[in-house]
Amino acid sequence: MDFYQGKVLKIDLSAGTAIVEPLNMEWAELYIGGKGLMLRYLWELTEPGLDPWSPDNPFIVATGPFAGTNVSTCSRVVIGGKSPASGTMLDSYMGGSFGSILKFAGYDMVIVQGLAPQLSTILIKDDVVTLAPCPAYTGMKTSEIEAALRADFDAKMTAISIGPAGESKLPWACISNDQYHKAGRGGTGALLGSKNVKAIAVAGTGKVTVGDAKAFLDDIERMDADYILTDDNYWVHEEGTPILVGITSGAGCQPVRNFSEGTNPDVENIDSEAFQKIRVKKRACYQCTLACRNFHRVEGAEGEGPEYETIALCGANVGVGDIDALMKFNIECDEWGLDTISTGNVLGLAMDMTEKGIHDFGVRFGDLDAYLKVPEQLATRSGIGAELAMGAKALAEKHGCPELAMHSKNLEMPGYDPRGSFGMSIAYASSDRGGCHMRSFPIGVEVVEGSMPADTLDSSKVVWNIDFQNHYAFKFCGIWCDFWAIDYDQMTQLMKHLWKRDVTEDELKVVGERVWNLGRLYNLREGTEKKDDFVPKAMLEKPFTTGVSAGKVIGSERFAKVMDEYYATRGWDENAVPTEDKLRQLGIDVRL
Amino acid sequence: MPHVMISNKKCTGCHMCELGCSAFHEGGFQPSLARLFTDVNPTTAVIKGHSCLQTACAKCQEACPEDAIVTRQITVKPAGEFSSREKNGDTVTGFVLIVDESKCTNCGDCYEVCPYDVIHEHPAREVAFKCDLCDGDPQCIAFCQNKYVLAVDLKLDKKDKELRA
Ligand code: SF4
Ligand code: SF4
Ligand code: SF4
Repeated sequence: MDFYQGKVLKIDLSAGTAIVEPLNMEWAELYIGGKGLMLRYLWELTEPGLDPWSPDNPFIVATGPFAGTNVSTCSRVVIGGKSPASGTMLDSYMGGSFGSILKFAGYDMVIVQGLAPQLSTILIKDDVVTLAPCPAYTGMKTSEIEAALRADFDAKMTAISIGPAGESKLPWACISNDQYHKAGRGGTGALLGSKNVKAIAVAGTGKVTVGDAKAFLDDIERMDADYILTDDNYWVHEEGTPILVGITSGAGCQPVRNFSEGTNPDVENIDSEAFQKIRVKKRACYQCTLACRNFHRVEGAEGEGPEYETIALCGANVGVGDIDALMKFNIECDEWGLDTISTGNVLGLAMDMTEKGIHDFGVRFGDLDAYLKVPEQLATRSGIGAELAMGAKALAEKHGCPELAMHSKNLEMPGYDPRGSFGMSIAYASSDRGGCHMRSFPIGVEVVEGSMPADTLDSSKVVWNIDFQNHYAFKFCGIWCDFWAIDYDQMTQLMKHLWKRDVTEDELKVVGERVWNLGRLYNLREGTEKKDDFVPKAMLEKPFTTGVSAGKVIGSERFAKVMDEYYATRGWDENAVPTEDKLRQLGIDVRL
Repeated sequence: MPHVMISNKKCTGCHMCELGCSAFHEGGFQPSLARLFTDVNPTTAVIKGHSCLQTACAKCQEACPEDAIVTRQITVKPAGEFSSREKNGDTVTGFVLIVDESKCTNCGDCYEVCPYDVIHEHPAREVAFKCDLCDGDPQCIAFCQNKYVLAVDLKLDKKDKELRA
């Protein structure tokens, strides 16, 4: 078979078995790969209302059809399951090399269920799969586990692994690959940790075929020149995501001190220019020619990142403008295996509660000593980490201040405050995995380009968000990286190789919408309701006092109105449930 | 003579060169059979490139008891950009070392001597395989095209330069 390997590796940890199943090609036709295919398997694998901490909750790794070829950025994998953080579907993406190497080993997907009797690793060397207990790896940080597996298993292996945070099942523990690549959000690491699995390592020597390889190479050479190595994408190599630091603060939408303001007074200490001064090298994901990974060095620390989200949440949001401390904090989060968005969000909340006298956590905005201890405390649930591990929602509720928790569907918000970019309120509220900017990103038009006003919220924003969500739902089936600004036309040119026929943009739009609706059905099946599509009240009602977004208010009524419009435009009923007509029109093969 | 070489300093570890190389020669993407490779330690981000130096090295040719590694004339005209293009021009003519599969007995003598670990037994054909400069269109150069990186370069060794002068 071309592109797909046609194989799913299914591991049952409780039974201690690994079997290879053929990839369901009907589903691959309908849902392509990545997000879509993962969701379709997730739907099938679990009973409705599953406890996310149950051993039955699958840990799914899915590649896209272009992983293991030279289509730039498509080495990405999605980690899926039911989120231990939010209880919604979980789809978290990362680059690195795992996706490509897994394909060379001969698999499109890995599905892990059950519970290992003791901490174990799953070792995959082409068609040889071993479940190996690994008590000696207990407590290893992410760089240590990779070095150990390279020495003990295979020098050329790559691994998905968890740090100590995953072992202690912190709800926002992440998955690591090649040390600097993280599937950060939604508790991917907690899910793997809950199965007693420290790592999945893979070494692969096989081949991915594409049909006429020379014709394919010629076409990719053309697309690289015309679509990838262009000014639209080169910014990620030249500057990378720190470019956003100055932009979002200037637009008044950067989370500052637990989202209490949108303009960061310390911005010039941690903006793109500041990071360029300490930049030392560039690295790329496997099969990516853009090379966006920036390495920085300060006294006593060198590593990749921090990316924008980390700078915003673990910098601005906790009152830290010290680039040395931020670098160290980021490296610690990487090593202990923490999602930096939730970490900075929850820490900002704890600082806010301390400053307001609600509860003294011993951490205040900008207090570097206390700050630098937090990653270890969270990962080991020691000190204040024991309580902070509850997550923003539960922590704020416990102390009687739910209004201070900046989350949606129990996933902590990332680095964009809707008060400086009104469209983001729709993006967050309608996101299929909670507070997330990767489903639609109005920041692009409202703030970066300025092609839409940042302080309006009307039908045009509803339609814009829906189009973007469908586009990204398809893109994340590919799995193309966010940093290739790939449009439908370019995707049809690649899909033509996969489907070996002409492909129209409309076909791909239908797939994107199909995947989005499947995600909605899954969330509804698992108990998410219309009322869960919200953003914190402060973001709707409480204006900022500084910067260009000062005084601007979305208003709860206006927000409710556009959300109703959102459901109607999507073809969902008054309870925000996709109608039978819609499901039939999209060719969705499951029902609630 | 012309050969391709990876700059350890510039290389980002994307492996596009190996992917292009293997697809060109093997009919599919299989970096384990690429004729050059970047040894990347993703944890430490340390990179070391491996590629064939052709006649500037020729250790395999010297070691071969069957004279199966033969010198052939080649004109190399890479697609895309590479660092030495301005200096050396678009086209370079010189010599390349090719495995004559009808003579190769897979004795393995050359595998032992290659200083760069880039000549091996082909698992399917059971003969040696190595860089052939892609008949003059090096795919590793064609796919290392990020203008800020351009880590694969077309190099000429001294003898070759003298010849051209
Ligand atoms: S294509 Fe270039 S940057 Fe990528 S691994 Fe090869 S030499 Fe390095
Ligand atoms: S294959 Fe190895 S030994 Fe032979 S010429 Fe190339 S680098 Fe030298
Ligand atoms: S010139 Fe061709 S054969 Fe030689 S390493 Fe590059 S891609 Fe492979």
